[in-house]
Amino acid sequence: MPATDNSAGKMGAATEGTRASERLALLTADNASVPLPASVQAITAILLAALLIALPWLGLGYRFLSIAITTIYTAIGLYGLALQFGQAGIMSVGHAALMGIGAYTSAILSVQLGWGFWTTLPFAMAMSAIVGGVIGLPTLRVGGQHYIIITFCFCALFVIVLTNGGTFTGSATGLDVGSVTPLPGINFDKLSNNYYLVLAALFLALAATYLIGISRYGRTLRAIRENEQLARSVGINVDLHKLGVLMVSGLFAGLAGVLQLYYLRHISPTLFGAFPSLYLALMVMLGGARYLYGPLIGAIIVNFLPEVLNLDPVDSRIAYGVCLLLVILLLPGGVSAGIKNIYCAIAGGSEGQGGGSNGRA
Amino acid sequence: MAALEVRGLRKQFGGVVALNGIDLDIDTDRVVGIVGPNGSGKTTLFNVVTGVHPATGGTVCWQGQDITNIGAHLIARKRLVRTFQQAMSFPGLTVNENVQIAWEQGRRGGSRWASPGMILDFVGLAPLGKAIAGSLPFGSLRRLGLAVALGVSPELLLLDEPGAGLNDSEAQAFAAVIAQLPPQGIGVCLIDHDMDMMADLCDRLVVLDFGTKIAEGPPAQVLADPKVREVYLGPDKTAAAP
Ligand SMILES: Nc1ncnc2c1ncn2[C@@H]1O[C@H](COP(=O)(O)OP(=O)(O)OP(=O)(O)O)[C@@H](O)[C@H]1O
Ligand SMILES: [Mg+2]
Repeated sequence: MPATDNSAGKMGAATEGTRASERLALLTADNASVPLPASVQAITAILLAALLIALPWLGLGYRFLSIAITTIYTAIGLYGLALQFGQAGIMSVGHAALMGIGAYTSAILSVQLGWGFWTTLPFAMAMSAIVGGVIGLPTLRVGGQHYIIITFCFCALFVIVLTNGGTFTGSATGLDVGSVTPLPGINFDKLSNNYYLVLAALFLALAATYLIGISRYGRTLRAIRENEQLARSVGINVDLHKLGVLMVSGLFAGLAGVLQLYYLRHISPTLFGAFPSLYLALMVMLGGARYLYGPLIGAIIVNFLPEVLNLDPVDSRIAYGVCLLLVILLLPGGVSAGIKNIYCAIAGGSEGQGGGSNGRA
Repeated sequence: MAALEVRGLRKQFGGVVALNGIDLDIDTDRVVGIVGPNGSGKTTLFNVVTGVHPATGGTVCWQGQDITNIGAHLIARKRLVRTFQQAMSFPGLTVNENVQIAWEQGRRGGSRWASPGMILDFVGLAPLGKAIAGSLPFGSLRRLGLAVALGVSPELLLLDEPGAGLNDSEAQAFAAVIAQLPPQGIGVCLIDHDMDMMADLCDRLVVLDFGTKIAEGPPAQVLADPKVREVYLGPDKTAAAP
């Protein structure tokens, strides 16, 4: 389609109207698979890292920093979802439950055995990964749409189990934990230190996502997303990789869940139910699942929008719905795709390939 | 012993018998053509041999190993590779990435290509490396399908109507590329409806009709076979004028 549009334009027969629609097509296209110049990628990464590290020093206040922490641990969970959805094409609408598995594993280990943050973290991540894989087993038999329903059911089931788990899961009230075990000289009771903890985890998640994206593993996942049958016929073990990516996604979810637990210090089943899960799906689509900074952008929009626009919960839900519709209709690649295309339009000038602030192969 | 040995291969879709006991030997040093009317079971033969569909009966042996129903990806890893009748690609990815994916899979145990770029050069797609596969014109998409299959370092390549939908000059260029494969140690088994091209390109022709092999041999001999002529031209004068 783009090829014919362009050739029509070159022939000089294009009217103003088709020109404009061409422009619009360029701005709304999803070109996640066209990589950017390495220099642009590096500069974006450095600027973003500097901004995030400097954030607590900008005097934006306690509330702002709290929302920032929420945004970041949510984004970490979203990086797992982006991997399975953006790269491998497997959407889930029960992802909060997977974060919940991590959070509850950590909380239960803490309550029952007295283990701290650092000790429970690997167990929580492993547990989320295993559960992610087990939920994924039916996908090997049924198609992607069925998997979405299965994740939703899992989410509902998880909440029911937690609510009826007696003192072991804390029932509807939930569980409490202490603060993060201090490292030498760093006390995580201080909000800015807690911020740096989740920020470090975000950098890890970003690095992992970037490395997977440019690796053979990332290409294998994209092959499965693009054409399962062809992927098989070139020798890719599609079933194994589908389960594998759901487990890797579970690792991210577990990490995010534990960070959430130790930021809130108290968790209850409703945090991991259907609504939070749908919000995660919304954020990843809004931001752009195929772009390196897409999940972060999605998390920022959804967490800060009510704050910036002063919306109450009902209004904000309506706002999210409108946002999602707009993105699906206008920007199938998410907000990141729009930012990248705008950058291309400014920096590139000429048609063909250009750079952008959020792209990745 | 031939590299690929198919014995008594059967495939049934519900009540439809698509393959009715096929025996076939294919070596990797020549071009074998498979012809037959629409619905005669040619594509199904490829699908069952390469594990896309499970066989209902019979066996497929590749290099002395029974590979019947072991799974499509394992068969590909044994360097028995196929293309699809509907031109296929990873449409959202660039041409380079399409070929690189296949090449990385074929690298297990050594690739015959030093880099994915060599494959693009070979099929003549090098200038289009950065194009998105889904936006390629049809002729280039066919070449990409071949490049992806070649990327897996095949020893035998099963090509399902690679010339379908191409114009004459494109089809000729494509045939020239295919003819270069056997000398490089890549056997070719080819399905196509263009009899002139098949007669030119193939060392041996196999004719299928209703899931059964009705003739096999050098092209000239097969095309002169009355049974084959009947399948293609309809029953002779006897039935033509009632
Ligand atoms: N997946 C399937 N499910 C059901 N029936 C099928 C399937 N694939 C093929 N068939 C049937 O098997 C028979 C053989 O089909 P096949 O596609 O192998 O023919 P073909 O020789 O490749 O024909 P063509 O020249 O049109 O490509 C046909 O009757 C077809 O309807
Ligand atoms: Mg066919």
